[in-house]
Amino acid sequence: MIAVPPQKRFEEAAAPSVGIEVHEKAVAALRDRELELSQLLDMVPSLVWRLMPDGEPTVFNKRMVDFLGLDVAAIDKPGMTRLAAMIEAVIHPDDATAFADALGRCIAAGEPFAMRHRLRRADGIYRWMSSRAEAMRDQDGGIVQWYGLCHDIDDLMQAEEALRRGRQQLEETIDAVPIRIWSAASTGGPVYFNKRYRDYLRSVVARPEDLDEPRIDRLLQELVHPEDAPGVMRALQNTSETGGGGVMRFRWRESDGVYRWAECRMEPRRDRGGAIVQWYGVSLDIDDEVQAQETLRDRERELSQLVDMVPSHVWRLTPDGEPTFFNKRMVDFLGPDVADTGKPGMTRLAAMIDAAVHPDDATAFGDALGRCLRTGDAFAMRYRLRRVDGIYRWMSSRAEPMRDASGRIVQWYGLCHDIDDQMHAEEALRERERELSVLVDMVPSHLWRVTPEGETAFLNKHMADFLGLDAADTIRVDEAMATLFHPDDTAEVNDVFGRCLATGEIFSMKYRMRRFDGVFRWMSGRAEPLRDDSGRIVQWFGLCHDIDDQVHAEEALRRASDRIAQATQAASLAELSASIAHEVNQPLAAVVANSHACHRWLSADPPNIERAKITAERITRDANAAADVVSRIRALFRHAPHARSPEDVNRLIGEVCRLMADEIAVKDIRIKTALDPDLPSVALDRVQVQQVFVNLIRNGIDAMDAVADGARALQIRSCRDGPDAVRVEIRDAGTGFKDPERVFEPFFTTKPHGMGMGLAICRSIVESHGGRLWTANNESLGATVAFTIPLAAREAS
Amino acid sequence: MSPREEIVFLVDDDARVREAVGELLESLGWRAETFAAAADYVASAKPDLPACLILDVELPDINGLEFQAQLSRDIHPPIVFITGHGDIPSSVRAIKHGAVDFLTKPFSDADLMTAVQAAIAQDREQRSERAELDVLRQRYLDLTPREREVLPLVVSGLLNKQAAAELAISEVTLQIHRRNVMQKMATASLADLVRIAERLDIPITHSRRAGGAERERA
Repeated sequence: MIAVPPQKRFEEAAAPSVGIEVHEKAVAALRDRELELSQLLDMVPSLVWRLMPDGEPTVFNKRMVDFLGLDVAAIDKPGMTRLAAMIEAVIHPDDATAFADALGRCIAAGEPFAMRHRLRRADGIYRWMSSRAEAMRDQDGGIVQWYGLCHDIDDLMQAEEALRRGRQQLEETIDAVPIRIWSAASTGGPVYFNKRYRDYLRSVVARPEDLDEPRIDRLLQELVHPEDAPGVMRALQNTSETGGGGVMRFRWRESDGVYRWAECRMEPRRDRGGAIVQWYGVSLDIDDEVQAQETLRDRERELSQLVDMVPSHVWRLTPDGEPTFFNKRMVDFLGPDVADTGKPGMTRLAAMIDAAVHPDDATAFGDALGRCLRTGDAFAMRYRLRRVDGIYRWMSSRAEPMRDASGRIVQWYGLCHDIDDQMHAEEALRERERELSVLVDMVPSHLWRVTPEGETAFLNKHMADFLGLDAADTIRVDEAMATLFHPDDTAEVNDVFGRCLATGEIFSMKYRMRRFDGVFRWMSGRAEPLRDDSGRIVQWFGLCHDIDDQVHAEEALRRASDRIAQATQAASLAELSASIAHEVNQPLAAVVANSHACHRWLSADPPNIERAKITAERITRDANAAADVVSRIRALFRHAPHARSPEDVNRLIGEVCRLMADEIAVKDIRIKTALDPDLPSVALDRVQVQQVFVNLIRNGIDAMDAVADGARALQIRSCRDGPDAVRVEIRDAGTGFKDPERVFEPFFTTKPHGMGMGLAICRSIVESHGGRLWTANNESLGATVAFTIPLAAREAS
Repeated sequence: MSPREEIVFLVDDDARVREAVGELLESLGWRAETFAAAADYVASAKPDLPACLILDVELPDINGLEFQAQLSRDIHPPIVFITGHGDIPSSVRAIKHGAVDFLTKPFSDADLMTAVQAAIAQDREQRSERAELDVLRQRYLDLTPREREVLPLVVSGLLNKQAAAELAISEVTLQIHRRNVMQKMATASLADLVRIAERLDIPITHSRRAGGAERERA
């Protein structure tokens, strides 16, 4: 390799120019020119070089030589061209191969060479160069020389690199920012989206080709919630027209098809003249926030509604008692004037109490609330509060303090519940209860209540007074209960009431009850159970009414009515006999008168035979008439028609016993029945046979009048009498019959007031049914009357 | 035996009894007229003879006792009741109101005859008394008005002087009137006149002892 200083090379290059003078001149001129050129070449702020057509470097300008700082010849290496050696020495190893290839290719093809590469400076630092080379050709087109230039572009490259890196950083930042960013030259034009935005769009836009040149309006139409779209479009248009920035909130459709709230902010960038150059926008997902806000708003609205809708008055006080809040209901109640009242010289609370609390309650209210405010105790009070219409209503008010973490009272929260109706209801209830209580005590009857188990739970005053008890003294009440009833009634009352308790039947019976002075009085007792909804008996309520006077009166009445019945019987008998007598007497009177007349006519002088005969005939006629009357009466009695129907004899006995229950009770008679449950029904005249039972039972009762109290027992027995008759026996424990056969004679009686017809009638009734009736004295005591009635109806013969 | 100038009325609803009792009355010699009802009896014309009314207690149109009460307002023959079943209260009432007898059917001819005879005798007496009274009444009617004024004063027992003062006439004039009254009334003594005045129901208007004495003092 030859290391040639560039001046020398130019000298060499100018050598072919010849001529002496001219030549000298020319040479001088040429030399000047060459010098100038050489100076030019060296002064060009670039590295200039020349190669032979085969690539052999021939010239480097000074600047290049200075830059490289090496002797070209010194780097020549055997076995390689000077160019290759140079490349190895000065081109950055990373660029060397490409450089060598490119240059080699250009030299071979004769094409211009251009390349950027790093070149080693004298101080060993590589600097970026932009190298260009072109071939100079002769007239034949053959390459004569290659001229090259190396322009130091290192600073430019550095700047470019920095710029590139900056840009990349920016893009990365933009893409990394967790928001969607867009920009556009105009709101109608294509848009730039950051990666995040693009990713999103790709996931939601139906046609990806729309993203090749995305346009705002189209995307908005597709993605914004239909409800929000018109507003967004309007806002967008407005923004673009005015050129002002804007904030829009709307719902985007997300990849999963759900709309989410987004906030879009956009602002224009303007040039110096103020014209809009570019629009920039960000789109933030604020859905969670919006939802949270919405929820919060809902909650707040709800709470506020709750506070206002709570059917109570809600209020709040500061720790020193200054009212700070009333709910709407309370404001409505008090009226706006009172709620906002204020008076000079007194606190707002005091003014409110003065205005709204009933004067009778105001002091107590103020004191109580004041005390609570001081001590922090919960406040509770009932008082009257003035409504806007001036009416005071009862309120039940409560307030409690809210404390902070340190226990200091922050607020007082109070509630004021309208209990006016309740108070009135309670008052009415109390009044009613008092009235009822008075009623229960004043009712002139004995009222009582027992538990379903039969424990006495309550006696009214009347009953307690009757028993001589204090109704509250339960122990003595229980003791009194044990001996409450007449010894003769105790067993039956317990029996019947026990059955009622067990079955829930209504209790109703008459019994004697001991008064405080030991006197037994007749009572009519009734009790009914109170049942709950499920039908279970909760309580028994009873009433017992003193009927002692009534019982005695009834007895007296019954005696009177018996006497009247007897009298009526006697009267009707008298009437009957009078009627019979008249019927028979008329013809008899005629017979007697005629016979006297006949006698007179015959005794006359001379005897009037004619008239005697006439009268004698009349005697015969009238006597026959009398006989007719008699037979008519007999026929009348024999042919009394009676309705007969099949009857249960046992039931008849039961009916009669009930019918005569009062009489039996008053006479203190025990009835014992022994009834054959399998008796067939018997065709009989119900009323007549009832009459037989009444007569026989009454006979039995009357027969025992003289017998000692405990032994008055009447036995009634029914049974079959052979295959086709029924027998009934009534057995008393009385005095018995002195002459059992005479008792059937009419008008025979052993009783002081008797008609003496009873047994006679009974016998005739039984006989009219085809049966028999007889009496017999018992072996020990009393008598038995028995009768039979055939099953089949049979007329008396 | 010819019927006496006496008549017996019989009211009974039973035709056989009417017939038989009518026959018996006739056999006893009375003229008998029978009626089935009280109204028939009332409506009939009755001869002016001593009479007797036999009345059944049980009549179809009216109770015999009530009919008796109706008849008592007027002059009527004495009543004999007959009845099929006499009771004591009815008979007592009948007798108290003037019935002659109360016979229970059947009755004997003797009882009937006794009762009817008693009744007719009573009627005869009543009839003669009524005739006598008629004469006295006529005599009274024949007195002048002044004499009818004098009569009560005289029978009251006033002295002539007192009676004259009462009528504001002289004692002499009064004495003339008194003599005329005595003559016209066909009485011989003051006692007779007093008795007649009593029968005629002339009221004694002045008491000599009471009114008269006081006047004398005045």
